[in-house]
Amino acid sequence: MAILLYHFCHWALNSYVGHGVRDSVWLFPAIEICHLLGLGILGGCILLLNFRLLGWRFTGGPVSELAQDVQPLMIGSVIVMLVSGFFLFASEAVKMYGNIAFRYKMVSLALAILFTFTIYRKVTMSDDTELSWLWKWTVVVLSFVLWAGVGVAGRAIGYV
Amino acid sequence: MGHIASFLQWLEQTQFSTFLRESTLGEPIVESIHVLTLTLFLGFAMLLDLRLLGLCLTRRRMSEVLAQFNPYLMVGFTIMILTGTLLFVSDPVTFYPNTFLRIKMVMLIFAGLNVLVFNTTIGRKVDEWDQAPQTPRGAKVAAIVSLVLWAAIVACGRAIAYTVPPPS
Repeated sequence: MAILLYHFCHWALNSYVGHGVRDSVWLFPAIEICHLLGLGILGGCILLLNFRLLGWRFTGGPVSELAQDVQPLMIGSVIVMLVSGFFLFASEAVKMYGNIAFRYKMVSLALAILFTFTIYRKVTMSDDTELSWLWKWTVVVLSFVLWAGVGVAGRAIGYV
Repeated sequence: MGHIASFLQWLEQTQFSTFLRESTLGEPIVESIHVLTLTLFLGFAMLLDLRLLGLCLTRRRMSEVLAQFNPYLMVGFTIMILTGTLLFVSDPVTFYPNTFLRIKMVMLIFAGLNVLVFNTTIGRKVDEWDQAPQTPRGAKVAAIVSLVLWAAIVACGRAIAYTVPPPS
């Protein structure tokens, strides 16, 4: 498994994308800006849905209505973040292979995406009047912890 | 300029600034709060702009969206300003002459003016177009100006990190 990942990092580093981003002075920061704007939209949607689940915001309508409304933005911003993130990763892929914060970020990201598009999606698309507060809080805390894990580990990449 | 230069030097030598600059965790923690609060502040601001453009949350009345977002935007903005100020205070002599920081501050003022103009004109009459399928042109202009300014502000924020000389 580790050797496969290492080969993947080598491939990414030497790929067209890896070369292109590495050889340009302004591409890396420009992609970082896209990554940050994607962070704003994705994080905003998740916070909004979480606040609604807890009954703090937008209580004028059901959770499912809000979830449907922000779904295209959520999916769109996840795609923007994954693509821009891959571009950034590819430019220094082998260095990232050995970066412990990057590894934490990827594990947390996989769990966050898995959770968001399965359990979280099911809960936010269902009739929230039938959900107990304990279940709502569990889902909100889990989603917050997983996504915050991605963000904090992402910040740590540059420091470790 | 003499007054400003001596103020910056005084600020740099305060215990607080020195602590922020020399502690291992101070700067990373403050900067991380600044960046991750983009989710609350920039995220909600962009969602509001997209609603003004009629691109999301269209089933909710505009006045409801404004009222629901406002307190959280205030909280987010306060955190951004506080952490941003702390970052500046940690190394004022280096940051002050930075061109991108200056552009960022000017654009922040423009973003504030944009909100002010919106609130005193088209936003004040929100009841008239609260449930209209199409938001008025003025609202769309305000939203686009806001989106462009915030994207540029993020870009300047990144550019500051690339143009400030590394700590010696």
